[in-house]
Amino acid sequence: MVIKEKMENDIAVLNLKGDLLGEPDTTTLRDKIHSLVGDEVKKVVIDLGGVNYMNSSGLGTLISTLTTMRNAEGELKLARVGKKVQNLFIITQLVKVFDTYETVDRATASFSAKKK
Amino acid sequence: MITSTLNISSNTEKLNAVREFISIAAHNFGFDDETASKISLAVDEACTNIIKHAYEYAPNKELEIKVLTNKQQFEVIITHQGKLLDPKLIKTPDMKEYLVHPRRGGLGIHLMRLLMDSVEYKIRDDKKCEVHLMKKISTAVG
Repeated sequence: MVIKEKMENDIAVLNLKGDLLGEPDTTTLRDKIHSLVGDEVKKVVIDLGGVNYMNSSGLGTLISTLTTMRNAEGELKLARVGKKVQNLFIITQLVKVFDTYETVDRATASFSAKKK
Repeated sequence: MITSTLNISSNTEKLNAVREFISIAAHNFGFDDETASKISLAVDEACTNIIKHAYEYAPNKELEIKVLTNKQQFEVIITHQGKLLDPKLIKTPDMKEYLVHPRRGGLGIHLMRLLMDSVEYKIRDDKKCEVHLMKKISTAVG
């Protein structure tokens, strides 16, 4: 899996490409989130448009990243969640936990919308 | 009863082949893409647990993945010679608690139970272990 990071003002957008199945990808994503938290980035969008397949290990990693952001008083949004991954969220009821958006733009805009 | 079998070594890199094997069998049985995908994931999780916990990542051990179908149900039996996995020891995670204190592992068996109609663990007379995953055609949408 490849992670591309882009900063849009104070929002970090992480574009994931490839399947999120286990090591070493899950550790790479966890480390990336910890690095952003260390840099005091409080707003993160994970773009899942390039992730076709995810298993319980990938799901656990997303939960872990959400918890890391919340513990740092930050926020995590998910964008472009594919059908298979969305089905996983529904089955596990995590759909109630993650903020998901159809596009990265809508996800980033949701941070500023909340400010108003 | 229609049967097809795939044998793999205890290597997570073989799981792509497992998912493809199950997906083809599930489609041939008549399941739609979504259900075939769910069954493939459940079998992937079962094989991952065997490789991690029953074989403790020892390479070159064997897993046999057998698909048995009749008009009513699609059953996958995974046979291995590693340690018996006792699902009773693995609690279904409370997702609210899990969000506060996420831990590695524990979600796989929970997912298998959600994705399939039944998941059973058996030990045969010859001491080989089996994981049975079953999906009925009538509940294929769930």
